[in-house]
Amino acid sequence: MKRNTLSFRIISNILLITSTLFVLIFSVYYFYARNTISEASKVNAIQLAENIEARIEQELQPLEKVPQMLSATIEMGFFHEDSLIHVLQTIVRNNPSIYGACMAFEPHFFEQKGLYFMPYAYRGADGIFSAYLGSETYEYYYMDWYQIPAMLRTPYWSEPYYDEGGGNILMATYAVPVYSNRDNKRVFAGIATIDISLDKLTDLVSSVSIFETGYAFMITRNGVAVTHPDKSMIMNKSIFSNAEEWGAPLLRQIGRELQRGESKFRSYNLPGKEKRWIYYTNLISTRWSIAVVYPEREMYASLTKMNRLVILLFIAGLLLLVLLITKIVNRLASPLVKFAEAARLIAKGNFETPLPEVKTKDEMLELRQAFVQMQEQLTLYIENLKKTTSEKEKIESELRIASDIQLSMIPHSFPPFPDLPQVDLYASLKSAKEVGGDLYDFFLIDSDKFCFAIGDVSGKGVPASLFMAVTRTLLRSIADRHKTPDAIMKVLNKSLALNNDSCMFVTFFLGILNLKNGELFYSNAGHNPPLYIARNGETNFMEMGTSIPLGLNEEYDYSCMSAQMMPGDKIFAYTDGVSEAENATHEFYGEKRLQACIAKNYEANTREIIDLMTHEIDQYVDGYMQSDDITMLTLVYNGQKGKN
Amino acid sequence: MKTNTYLLILLIIFSVCNSVHAQTQKLVFSPHWLPQAQFAGYYVAEEMGFYKEAGIEVEIIHPSASVNAMHFLQSGQADIISLFLVTGLDNRFKGVDLVNIAQFSHNSALMFVAKKTSNINTLKDFKGKKVGIWRSGFEEIPKALIHEHQLEVNWVPILSTVNLFLLGGIDVMTVMWYNEYNQIYLSGLNEDELSTFFLSDYGYNIPEDGMYVLQNTLNEKNDALKAFVEASIKGWQYAAKNRDFTLDVVIERMRQANIPSNKAHQKWMLEKVLELQEPIGQTNLEKPDFDQVHAILKGQYPQSPDIIFEDFFRPIR
Repeated sequence: MKRNTLSFRIISNILLITSTLFVLIFSVYYFYARNTISEASKVNAIQLAENIEARIEQELQPLEKVPQMLSATIEMGFFHEDSLIHVLQTIVRNNPSIYGACMAFEPHFFEQKGLYFMPYAYRGADGIFSAYLGSETYEYYYMDWYQIPAMLRTPYWSEPYYDEGGGNILMATYAVPVYSNRDNKRVFAGIATIDISLDKLTDLVSSVSIFETGYAFMITRNGVAVTHPDKSMIMNKSIFSNAEEWGAPLLRQIGRELQRGESKFRSYNLPGKEKRWIYYTNLISTRWSIAVVYPEREMYASLTKMNRLVILLFIAGLLLLVLLITKIVNRLASPLVKFAEAARLIAKGNFETPLPEVKTKDEMLELRQAFVQMQEQLTLYIENLKKTTSEKEKIESELRIASDIQLSMIPHSFPPFPDLPQVDLYASLKSAKEVGGDLYDFFLIDSDKFCFAIGDVSGKGVPASLFMAVTRTLLRSIADRHKTPDAIMKVLNKSLALNNDSCMFVTFFLGILNLKNGELFYSNAGHNPPLYIARNGETNFMEMGTSIPLGLNEEYDYSCMSAQMMPGDKIFAYTDGVSEAENATHEFYGEKRLQACIAKNYEANTREIIDLMTHEIDQYVDGYMQSDDITMLTLVYNGQKGKN
Repeated sequence: MKTNTYLLILLIIFSVCNSVHAQTQKLVFSPHWLPQAQFAGYYVAEEMGFYKEAGIEVEIIHPSASVNAMHFLQSGQADIISLFLVTGLDNRFKGVDLVNIAQFSHNSALMFVAKKTSNINTLKDFKGKKVGIWRSGFEEIPKALIHEHQLEVNWVPILSTVNLFLLGGIDVMTVMWYNEYNQIYLSGLNEDELSTFFLSDYGYNIPEDGMYVLQNTLNEKNDALKAFVEASIKGWQYAAKNRDFTLDVVIERMRQANIPSNKAHQKWMLEKVLELQEPIGQTNLEKPDFDQVHAILKGQYPQSPDIIFEDFFRPIR
């Protein structure tokens, strides 16, 4: 899947959220499950240990009664010492759990019996046997089973031992002090014992298993192992010797707690071994201890298994989710790709491109409807555009023609009158649009009178150019009949103002120069005053007085002013496109700059002045688009001498 | 031709047997107790073939509950036995014609131990207390010490275990530092819970394990006995340097003899026994030690003539 697809983004987001949720839920579940398992294991271990304890006590306590009863009956004088051996035989015969029983008397207890008197009955391979024990090599009263209860005057469970017969049967002896009445005194007589096999008890303990390798073990009062899964431990090692061997003081501490009869559930770590939990408790009768041990890892094994399953299920579920979401998202988003393809085709101009079918009534359908609408609108728009474009093109070509016509109306061959050396003239017109509203014109009224004019029609474009054309045409025809500027202006004004419904007007300056004597008559209709450049370089705006543009008031009388031009004097006329040329900061070029520029270059010829000005304005506006036509006209009077 | 061949074969067999007889003399050795680290040097010497190298064939046998090492010696079942000095001299007083040919131990491991809870902190506190003492062997020395201090104690003869002491049946127990003292510790009593009285601290640093033979044997098998003692020293020296190996050997011997064994205890025993033998290889019995034991035992045998040191100690090296 590509990284930048919608499905990828949706799926990765869903995966992130799902995984986070899973980790959260899993942690909580794990924590609680762990606690529950730990608690359940503890209860289980305690129950197991206490169950064994109860069953062992159940075995031992009835057996304890046997020597106790024997002791009591001997004390009461029920038996003659010689009948004891039969009593002991009966005891062994009747108690399958008892392997041997004896009644060992204090040295010289019966004078006629000598130093040793110890009737003993035992279970042999083929029956019950009996013997009188005690000899120089078997001084029984120095044996633990005799000496300890004799000195402590309490019943005593011996440490376990292997039976003398070498049968490898683990035995223990229970010994009870026996008293006798002599001369009405209660005197210590000896010790009554039973020997029992511990096999049944060790089997009971060994049969316990908890989790995989958890087990129970039994240790004696001295900490020696009586049962242990590791057989080499039994009767060889004690909890204390193992504490030394393994360098585990904690084990010794546990051993000491056991000796004190404490019961405890706790965890412990042995060097180099995994963490284990142990419950230990004491047998009341023998004061041996029973413990149930299991590794923590195994306690949580089921949880670990479960965890693995849950994680596997989650991963599988996640994969399934990814698959499903991919399918769903792809199905939902597949029209988008087709729409995109369609949009590309539409962009190429094929508005009839078929759109993907959408069967669902959702956002995708809205998108399709929007597409359909877009196609329709685009088709319509393009059709309109085509139409208007062709119309525009038509207009543009017409406008180009109009512009050509307009420009052709204006004289643009310089010098205009090579045969008239008295006067020289140069002019330029630069329209802001295809067709402009500025105009200039010059012509000879008769052989001596040279008429020149400059004007600026209000507005721009075709209406202005038409108005300009009308003005120019009228000027030529009026100038044929009227010979003074004021008269020409008056008639021109009247003609333009007539039926001027669109209220257009034109500022206009008109001059008539007498080529013979340099006398200049001029009239102005609201136009910028031209600059008079005397041949000595003195440059001034010409006196104009106030006036209104042509075409506004048909009755207006325009005044006529005059000036005497000396040979070499020049006139620079212009439209407001020059003085109001704008730069990027919307500042006008202004009359002052204009005057200064002209004054600096007063010696330049007509054409040079206009070229300089054009250059100057170009520099000033610095490429800023101009909205007005720029028209300039320079005229120089050369006097009569030019004729020669 | 045939007769010659037989003769030749017979001759060869005879000469081989003869040379074997001449080169490898057999000795039976019995330590004075069951297999344990106390006798590690001899097991190592046997295991490492030091005896064979020395040209002797040694069989190690062990006494049992009913038969002791003295019995082996007297009955001829053993050529050489180890005994405590006091036991050796005691038997000499009793008329056994035995001699000490090498004294391996140079220090006493005997000690009294009491639970601090019974408020016994000095020797004087023993007065009127029940003091456990082994029946077999060397009770004379502890008794001599107590007698010297004029303390009336209630001696309680004990066969072998420390259970009576652990259960509080007696207040004080006579123990060997290398053995029962550690057994008590390995039964759950901490060292700081015990008061200890080393007999060596009270002027009774009487050496213990030594090698004993009958006078006759000494005369007959002098070379073999010398070789045995030398090889045994080598065994002890090797044991001191290779303690883990030695422990394995000891544990294996104990296992074979069906005796409860654990490494922790045997390790302790080996270390202490080696300390008591320092310097290993010195096998002289010092006369003052002899005199002290002689004095202790003399009281029991007022009729017997004094035993001459040089008659008793016949160093083989």
